[in-house]
Amino acid sequence: MSGAALAPVRCYFEDVEMHVPLETPGVTLTRAHVVLFAGVTGDTALRDPESVPDLLPLCLSSGLGWRVPRPPLAVLAFMGFEWRFLSALVVGDTIHSVSRTLTKRSMREGGVVIEERRIVNQRGETVQSGKLTLLVARRPAP
Amino acid sequence: MVFFPFVDAADGIFFEDLQPGQEFTSPGRTVTEADIVIFAGLSGDYNVLHTDAEHMKASIFGERIAHGLLGLSIQQGLAARGEPAAALGLLSGLKWKFKGPIKIGDTVHVFSRIASKKDGPDAGRGLVTVERRLLNQRGEVVQEGESEHLVERRKP
Repeated sequence: MSGAALAPVRCYFEDVEMHVPLETPGVTLTRAHVVLFAGVTGDTALRDPESVPDLLPLCLSSGLGWRVPRPPLAVLAFMGFEWRFLSALVVGDTIHSVSRTLTKRSMREGGVVIEERRIVNQRGETVQSGKLTLLVARRPAP
Repeated sequence: MVFFPFVDAADGIFFEDLQPGQEFTSPGRTVTEADIVIFAGLSGDYNVLHTDAEHMKASIFGERIAHGLLGLSIQQGLAARGEPAAALGLLSGLKWKFKGPIKIGDTVHVFSRIASKKDGPDAGRGLVTVERRLLNQRGEVVQEGESEHLVERRKP
């Protein structure tokens, strides 16, 4: 089998569709997530063990984005984001994310994609939301 | 650099105690391969940027780099080690830019400054904006942005 046949399928800049909502599967927030995240951040402040750290849902949503019926986006760099924290989450809540592309701008290195993303809880309430700016690779020449 | 006065835990730090211009420099932290592996496992983000050393040899970075959100998470933990973090507990908004890569072995620290304060959504709380920079061992800004926090006012 040739190397080319094994090359992973990617969603390149040219493949990104505007305004098409992409909904991920869910993940239930557990104490294990909270403890592992505290280890990563090093935030040792005493908090309610049932409360979910503010940044954890956004971190989990980046992994949820890989579990959708679309090849993974060929992200070259995460350039920045703006984010609102609308309501607190607790252990036991189940979140998923809903995103859509707002703008695409072609650049020499690739293309800049601005994505709107919402984190939604098990009651359908948006708990966090914002816009992410990503640099996405162009489809390589065949 | 401004040192925050020691405040008894029972009293806490309130909106009234925070003033624009107050600054904080955190301790440093060396970002390791283990940090990246654990963050990939926790987040589920296994992008080759963070997990495939061979692929990354050919990239502009030359090696694996930390997830941007790992850098931000480490920033948050570093800031909590000395900033009046108890007061800045409730995050209401964040604007953030990833300016450069964090590589395995880099040592980062946080410089933060209280930029402004204004009335909050209710009488009991105010809104504090903090400018934040994450710098590496060469003094290069690898991430920067600002965070907005809802902070309790002192009870009358």
